[in-house]
Amino acid sequence: MSELVQRLIPEFERWKERYPAGFEGSLTIPCFRRIQEERGYVADDDVDALQAYLGIARTQLDEVLGFYTQFTRKPLGKTHLQVCHNVSCSLRGAANLVTYLSCKLGIQPGQTTPDGKFTLSTVECLASCGTAPMMMVNDAYHENLTPATVDALLAEHSA
Amino acid sequence: MSDTTTTPALSGTKFFMNFPVTETSHSLEAYRARGGYQALEKVVRSMQPTEVTKEVSASGILGHGGAAFPAGRKWGVVKLGDNQPHYVCMNADEGEPGTFKDRWLLENVPHMCLEGLIIASFALEGRHAFIYIRGEFDLPYRRMAAAIEEAYAAGLLGENILGTGFSCDVVLYRGAGSYVCGEASAMLASLEGKKGWPRNRPPRLTVKGLYQRPTVVNNVETLANVPVIIGQGAAEFRKVGVAKSPGTQMISISGHIAKPGVYEVEYGYSWEKFIYEDCGGMQGGKALKCIIPGGVSTKILSADEIKGVTLDHLTAVAAGSQLGSGGMMAVAEGTCMVRLLQVIQRFYHHESCGQCTPCREGMGWMDRVINRIVRGEGRPDDIDRLYHISNANDGTTICSLGDSAGYAATAIMDHYREEFEYYIKNGRSMYDGCLTVEDPFAGAVAALRGATANATATAGAVA
Amino acid sequence: MSDRAPKTFEFFVDGVSMQAEDGQTVIQAARANGVDIPHFCWHPQLSVPGNCRICMVEIESDGGNWFDIACNMPVTEGMKVLTKSDVATKLRKETMQFITLNHPVDCGICNKSGECILQDYHYEHNGSKSMSIDAKTHATKFYPLSDRIMLDNERCIMCTLCVRFTHEVSGSKALAAVNRGDHALIRPAEDADFNHDVYSDNVIDLCPVGALLSRELLDHARVWYLKQTPSVCPGCERGCTVDLWHRKPEWKLNALDPSLNTRIDRVTPRENPDVNGLWVCNKARDLAKIFERPRATQAMRRGTAIPLETAVAEAAAMMAGAKQAVALVSSWASNEELAAFRAACGDALGSRITAWVKADHLPLPGETVEDHLLIKADKNPNRAGALAHFAALPAELPTAFPAATDVVLVWGEGCDSAMLPTGAKVIRLDSYASADNAQADLFIPISIQTERSGHYTNFAGTVSAFAACFPPVATVAHAEGLFSGGLFTGTGRTDLVPAGQPRRLAVLT
Repeated sequence: MSELVQRLIPEFERWKERYPAGFEGSLTIPCFRRIQEERGYVADDDVDALQAYLGIARTQLDEVLGFYTQFTRKPLGKTHLQVCHNVSCSLRGAANLVTYLSCKLGIQPGQTTPDGKFTLSTVECLASCGTAPMMMVNDAYHENLTPATVDALLAEHSA
Repeated sequence: MSDTTTTPALSGTKFFMNFPVTETSHSLEAYRARGGYQALEKVVRSMQPTEVTKEVSASGILGHGGAAFPAGRKWGVVKLGDNQPHYVCMNADEGEPGTFKDRWLLENVPHMCLEGLIIASFALEGRHAFIYIRGEFDLPYRRMAAAIEEAYAAGLLGENILGTGFSCDVVLYRGAGSYVCGEASAMLASLEGKKGWPRNRPPRLTVKGLYQRPTVVNNVETLANVPVIIGQGAAEFRKVGVAKSPGTQMISISGHIAKPGVYEVEYGYSWEKFIYEDCGGMQGGKALKCIIPGGVSTKILSADEIKGVTLDHLTAVAAGSQLGSGGMMAVAEGTCMVRLLQVIQRFYHHESCGQCTPCREGMGWMDRVINRIVRGEGRPDDIDRLYHISNANDGTTICSLGDSAGYAATAIMDHYREEFEYYIKNGRSMYDGCLTVEDPFAGAVAALRGATANATATAGAVA
Repeated sequence: MSDRAPKTFEFFVDGVSMQAEDGQTVIQAARANGVDIPHFCWHPQLSVPGNCRICMVEIESDGGNWFDIACNMPVTEGMKVLTKSDVATKLRKETMQFITLNHPVDCGICNKSGECILQDYHYEHNGSKSMSIDAKTHATKFYPLSDRIMLDNERCIMCTLCVRFTHEVSGSKALAAVNRGDHALIRPAEDADFNHDVYSDNVIDLCPVGALLSRELLDHARVWYLKQTPSVCPGCERGCTVDLWHRKPEWKLNALDPSLNTRIDRVTPRENPDVNGLWVCNKARDLAKIFERPRATQAMRRGTAIPLETAVAEAAAMMAGAKQAVALVSSWASNEELAAFRAACGDALGSRITAWVKADHLPLPGETVEDHLLIKADKNPNRAGALAHFAALPAELPTAFPAATDVVLVWGEGCDSAMLPTGAKVIRLDSYASADNAQADLFIPISIQTERSGHYTNFAGTVSAFAACFPPVATVAHAEGLFSGGLFTGTGRTDLVPAGQPRRLAVLT
């Protein structure tokens, strides 16, 4: 049984206060987000515990975890770099930003550095088109990126 | 950290970008000082739900999510007093590539959005309302979460709002990464805690929506307009903009534009003036090649096609496209449209939900064909093939993701067929695959590559 | 709900006037009028996802024609549906191009071949080679969905019929459609075991393509070599109607093991709204395991082989001479057999002969005893039919046997020798090999359900028929024949081959 989920249940209970009755199933996504915020990923134990708590079909949880790109079932690097490579960012150099990060970190998108510090991903539009190129560093948007600002971010998160 | 607070000057009426953005201008106190929540006061103290809907209908406001459906007509479908819950949901899943205007509203006028949502709930007799915000939005989420708590504390939400008998709770629901959840029925599936598969109509969501109850889903900007409409009255509202597109449009512009950002534009504004004057034209003084008017799902228009066109829904349609979500992208001369379509199609392939056949299969198919062309392995019939796949998605899918991909592809090929033919014939791009005007990483990457090449050459020499 | 008949009105399919009921969709209304609009994902008893898009029809309209899926479109008065127009034909063809885009089209090695809807629709609605020149995407092959079912994700067209079946009918909620886009896959729930779904094999029938196949029957036989015989599942008192699939006589195998010719290759439900709807449980799928148990084919006197005719004659004498006979009647016997036995007992029933209905089968360890859908607790198909003639065996077994009992007739399984009173002569009629057979004073082997035809009456009184699939083993008797005209008056076998002549078919062992 996931101790993490047990610990979070009182918080989940508080969320319910603002939902209409009968909306327990709606909590899947918020709960998974919260679990991932704590653990960095969603562990098998967490899914079991959440299923028991919410009392919904396991298939719904499996489908949710497989459908939404932000959920991960495996630990990622300590810092997750998510580079937008959609249209506006591509028009402002996203491809070379990805190449630059790949070269600097020695990994391809979808990979994690051997020291577990960085995971590099490419993602679709993050609604930061006016400030392209950009990437998310964990939860935070970093915009109008240049080699200098990227180097600074990498240095900051290597520590 | 994020900087969307710059509000470039532009003539015309402003409903949203009419105050200096500061560290605290998004707070309840600041919003109230600007007259915030007076519309809600008016509604809960002196209006009937049907009067609110009537006012919104009279304003003629068109939905700002992309489809430009009259908001009042959507509200009017919901049958009041039918002894079942009704829900209102704010669509803050801004994911249409090129669109970031809702983000500005959520970050800078969260209370205005919230006030619109509460008024909509009053009009539609909703006891619970939802804000579905995309998972990647961190600051907008925190701003809205704080606004909701402020509103609860101030008696603007919860039981007996402003001491009246009207009660409303708001759930701020965060998505987890899915473009298709911006489609209303997929959003409701997601709000039910499921994967975001869109649903067939009928029934309409206003008849059977969230948990099979009548539900109205409105875009952030649409709801943010509601306090304006109620506050000044539909007649005053209609004085802004043009007859068939009243009000203003928040336009986010990006790409090769000199001054990207969010602009509030009165409908009927000159498109060329907007691009060449207000936004400063193209980066590096380049010529404009084409415009993606309202998110990648709208058809591109060439520089010639926006000549003399004004920014409003009818003229945009007449010009051959739509204003869509206001996510405008400018593309400069010298850009390779084949590679641009590759970027666009990679997106649609990535975001296809996998439910219905034409999109599930067609998106990957188009992606593979375009990738093959870009690799230099295109065949002469690939252009027809892309048209065929696009057309076979037109109107045949559950939601409009597949259609949109087709519109994007056919519009680009209609305009720049010669680039595709050239690429296929010669195995390379007419413009060397260029996508950028200014590429901040080009030099650094070339240096890194050179270093690697040198290292390899040296290693080879030693061996 | 109002019990008034729903409003009906006229609509048109390809110009033909038809009647529709208010509330029907176009696909339902057309179907009710005998027009089958092509469909993969739609199913009359499952929710409507509208995901396959093959049922696109054109609607003729003054304001301009339009098209949409027939499965989710309410039919309206005067609606003009076009299924053969250029637009509708083109839409179906394009959808088929999409559906076959990443489908391997490996019909040559696919067990579904010959009864595959995709195959049929391809010929009917596409008929062209793929427009794609790019390699197909790959997905998991031979994914073991359960111990019973193999999933080929490349053949899957994501209609989600199987997923919906587990959520809406069987209730196991064991299957999901995970991932998205062209990576979407059918998968079992991570914690759940599809093995626990006792209705799982229905998804094999539901699957319109060769994505879900029985592992047991994989590569057993091409479907065109098989024929189906209507039958009734004897697995419980529900008496689900089924089809037993077995080799067509004209395609009998001569060189291989001849037992392949008299084997049940598979069992599928036979639609029956009164009994089982469209489904059966996995026990029915496994009827071969019941029917193909080792048979008893040799008549015996206390374990010594004797000719069938001799055994029958001695049994007749034994019954005629009995002062107090007790018959334990089979609840697997057909109505015809039960009626024959009742008639043969005549006035003696209730005086010289006491008859009880026994349970031939009890729930096996681990078997689902009873559930919400079809499975009933009584594991015998015709207890109701038997109880129409005879009383149920008392729970206190000794009270079933009067003190003076001198002959016991045991008909069918479920009563071993230890349960019988000592001192009485025992006549046993059974189909299957058992040590008890040799202990009986007389043992007469009888035919099984697949060798004869008849009827069962289920728990609700519904009578269903079954037909013979195979000729009976030559050395066994039909119970009905044993009792026609009197107790043990003959074997009733018109098809018995005179001794010394070659037999057409091998004897089942």
